[in-house]
Order: sequence, then structure tokens, then C-alpha cells
Amino acid sequence: MGTAVETHGLTRYYGQARGVLDLDLEVREGEVFGFLGPNGAGKTTTIRLLLGFIKPSSGRATIFGREAWADAPLAHRSLAYLSDDPAYLGELTAAETLDFLGRLRGLQRGAWRPLVERLQLDPTVPIRRLSHGNRQKVSVVQTFMGQEPLLVMDEPTTGLDPLMQREFLALVAEARAAGRTVFLSSHNLTEVERSCDRVGIIREGRLVAVRVVRELLGDHWRSVNLVLGSPPPPGTFDLPDVRLLASTGRDFHLMVRGDVRPVLRRIVDLDVSDVSVTTPDIEDVFLGFYGDGNHPASEPAAVPGTNPEPAGKEAPR
Amino acid sequence: MIGAVFSLELRRSRQLASWLLLVTALYGGLVAAVYPVLRDNMARFDEYMKIYPKAILEAFGMVGSLADPGTFWNTYVASMLWPIVAGIAGILLATRSSAADTERGWIELPLSGRLPRTTYLAAAIGVQLAVLAALAAATAGGVVAVGWIVGAGFDAGRFALGGVGIWLFGCAIAAVTTLLAVVTLSRGAAGGAVAGALLVMYLFRALATIQPDLDWLATFSAFHYLDPKAVIDEGLLPVGDVALFVGIAAAAWAGAIWAFARRDLIA
Repeated sequence: MGTAVETHGLTRYYGQARGVLDLDLEVREGEVFGFLGPNGAGKTTTIRLLLGFIKPSSGRATIFGREAWADAPLAHRSLAYLSDDPAYLGELTAAETLDFLGRLRGLQRGAWRPLVERLQLDPTVPIRRLSHGNRQKVSVVQTFMGQEPLLVMDEPTTGLDPLMQREFLALVAEARAAGRTVFLSSHNLTEVERSCDRVGIIREGRLVAVRVVRELLGDHWRSVNLVLGSPPPPGTFDLPDVRLLASTGRDFHLMVRGDVRPVLRRIVDLDVSDVSVTTPDIEDVFLGFYGDGNHPASEPAAVPGTNPEPAGKEAPR
Repeated sequence: MIGAVFSLELRRSRQLASWLLLVTALYGGLVAAVYPVLRDNMARFDEYMKIYPKAILEAFGMVGSLADPGTFWNTYVASMLWPIVAGIAGILLATRSSAADTERGWIELPLSGRLPRTTYLAAAIGVQLAVLAALAAATAGGVVAVGWIVGAGFDAGRFALGGVGIWLFGCAIAAVTTLLAVVTLSRGAAGGAVAGALLVMYLFRALATIQPDLDWLATFSAFHYLDPKAVIDEGLLPVGDVALFVGIAAAAWAGAIWAFARRDLIA
């Protein structure tokens, strides 16, 4: 599996202001890579650097081995781009816009038709009369209408209703199934959780972590609440990565890091009235990176409603 | 692909060009319709014009009799209509594809495709050339056509050359504006600077004409080099002036393309 996007020491300043700093990133062919960060973290700057719209202050970025800045037109042959705030020409219809942009990507006239029907977009209406959501549909169609091996998307679902967001995620899944690579910048955590294989988290211009989404969630602390019919034997919950936070004799609140199956095996023979396991969503993980700037992703403090004492967890890179 | 950009830019220019074509053709036709009255009453009209200070008349290009086709063209078209039309068209067209489209965010979409930036801007420059040519042709054509109807006796070939002269002047304005728009990526800054410079140069030309000891100011005025009187009266394009406008236009457009390929696209 080759590399679709690669950056080495990619840095960009706007005058004295920080854009992105020393960004080392590798997106493999065929994966869906989420690029997470709040507004101002450097996501759009990174995408502009990848598209060759702005020149790096230092470092380099490549798209399938081609320099993003120096060889931009060649690099663009391999990608389709979805802007976070596309300023379409209001006097053109969606069809005219898509045909124009399609021609600049070497596509046949009308290549957009299947997607327009799928997303239920009227292509004959001038774009100035379209709602924000429908304009965003134009962007989605524009991005997916070709066969470029890389899709670079900046906040793709902003303004889409939940049904269309689901359709968008289906399109991403189909793209991945077809072997295409997706680089998806977002602060929509659910979208990233549902669609991405790996996620890079950017904070104040620096990449603070790159993780497999499944592992990222798996490493996190889960909240386990038990209601037992009778008190358990002493030491029942003395297990690695398990902390008993609170107990009333029958109600137990545990924090479990990673795999919960050892706990479940311990309670299988007990008189269990109720059990709930709260899996952290990626938002908790994300807040772990952003909460106070010091919390590693795996600390229980990131899980709402709990306050276990942290114990020398490894800081994210 | 360059054809797609050219077509789209031409389409985006349609409304502006249509209105300006209407204005230039109507204005040209209107002044041409009046011309026989001036010509047939030249003595009385010249007598009337003597009530104005000579310096003021010269400042507005009225050097000689208005019955003279060269003076007529210079006064009503080259010194009055065309600077305004060329300024409006040049500034609006030349700032749109680079500065305005970057400010609004549109430019990221076409430039995320396979087309190099240089080709993209070259197509937009092609539209500037085409629209300005159409406007110059409409201006000269309006004068000649109505002149023919009213029996003005204009020499169509010489007025066509006059049209070429004002076209090149417009191209120089558009090219410099294109360069400034690419450098600043601000429609307001580039357009304002060029509009201000045109006003100042117009003032320089007027001052240089009114005040002989300030005649050196004319050197810094583009209007000093836009002298279609000789073109209409003698049928010759002044090679030096033409070369100057061509040189400025070519250099500024080339500079704009060079800079556009190398600069950040961020407003």
C-alpha cells in the first residue's frame, strides 16, 4: 500500500502568526483519514498547503509523490477537493457549475447526473437560489463525480441535514471500498468516528496524535455501572486497569480501561440486576486532547461524570 | 480547458460589456449625429467657444476646431468617454479573476483542477482583450455608422485606427490593474489605486496644458500619449505611443501571470 499524502516538517506562518508547525503526516492509499481540530487549529491551512494554494514556510507536502506546491497541476490530477465554504457563482446553475468544474478535471459533460439524482438536487436552479444545504450538496456531487484516487474534503457535512449526512458517509464508504483515499478535515466528531480508519488530531498548529479510531476508542476508559442483588466477594474488582470509583454495597461504579471482558467474566456468576457499559465517544477522546492541554487521551478524567485519579499515563505524541 | 475558462469569464462579463457597449455605441452615435451641425456652423461655433478660457479648452483636448474630425474625436471620445469606459471595464474585469475571486473563495474550485494558474489567468486576460476590443469597436463603429447616416464624411479607416489607439490605451489600464490585483489580491486596493492614478494623470495632463512651466507633468500622464488627433487627421498610428501602450500592457500582463503562479492564493 503506497502513500497518498505525505508531509515532512510542513510549516506555515502568516507573518508572525502560526498556521501549522512542523507537521509530519502520512496518509496511506485506500484509507479514510480524519483530520480533527477546532476552528483555528490549522486544518484549513494544512489543506491549502496540500492543494498548493499557499507555499510552505518550510517543509514539504506531496500528493502521490508529487510536490503539492511546485507540481500543483500534476498533483491535482489525482485529487478532488471539497472546500469548507465554496463560493459558487450565483448566476450559474448547479449543472453549469458542475460541468465547468468537471471540464477542468477532464470529466465528461453530465458526469454529475447519477449523484445529483441520488442526492435529490435540482441542477437547473441558479445557485444563488439554493439553500446552504443544497449548495453543500453541489460540493459533495462535485467532489465525488470523478474517479480521482484522492478526495480532500474540508468540513464536508456542514449544512447537510441528517439524511444527507448519512448519504455522505455512504459515499465515503463506497469511495473507500473502491480503493480511493479520503482526507477528511472536520470538527464533526461523529462524522469522523463513523467514517475514518485513522484520525490525526491537530492542536494550535501541531499534530498531537495520529491514531487508529478503533484503538483510540478502545484505549479509553469506559464507565461500568453495576447493580447487584447481593454484595460481591472481596477483591472481585481487583483487576488491572479497573478502578472502583464508588460503591453503595450493591451499586458499583467502575472505570475500566480498554477491554471490559475481564470485568464481565468476574460478574457473570454474581447476582447481577443491571449492568451498563458506557463506551466513550470520540468527543471524549477529543476533549482529552483539548480540555486543559495536558490530559492525554486515555485518562479517565476525559469521561464526563467521573474523577478517577490519573496514574502516570503516557502522554500522546 | 482554457476554452472553458475563457467561455465562463466571457459569460461573467456579459452584463457589464452589454451595458458599456450600449453606452459607447449610443454616445458615439449621438456625438456623430451632432457633428454636421458643428461642421456647417464652424465659424459661429468657434466664435462661441472663444468665450471659454483657451487653457481650459486645451486641457480637455479641444485644440483646434471641433469641426476638425481629429479634434472632434479627441474631445468627445478620447478625452471624455473612453477614459471612463476603459477605466470601468479595465478595473472590473482585471480585478475579478484574481483578487475578487480569491476574496470570495471561488478561485479555489477551478484551481483545484488540472489547469495551471498561468493558463487560468491567461484566459481571463484574453477576455479583457476581447471585451475592450468590442468596446473600442462599438465606440468607433457608433461614430462612423451614425456619421455615415448623417453625412458627416468620416474616414472609416482612420476612425478604425483611432479605435485601435483607444483599445491599446484600455489594455494598458487593464494590464496594470491585473498586475496590481494579483500582487495585492484585493479588488478594492487594486481598483482604487488605478482609478486614483487615472484621475491624477488626467489632472497632470490638464495642468501641463494650462501651465506651460508644468509641461513636464505631461510626461507622467498616460493621456499625453493617447493622441488620436493625428491618427484621425493623418491616418497614421503614432508608433512610439502605440509601442508604449503595447509595452506596458505586455509587461504588466506578463508580470501578473508570473506573480500569479508564485504567490499564495489567500485574501
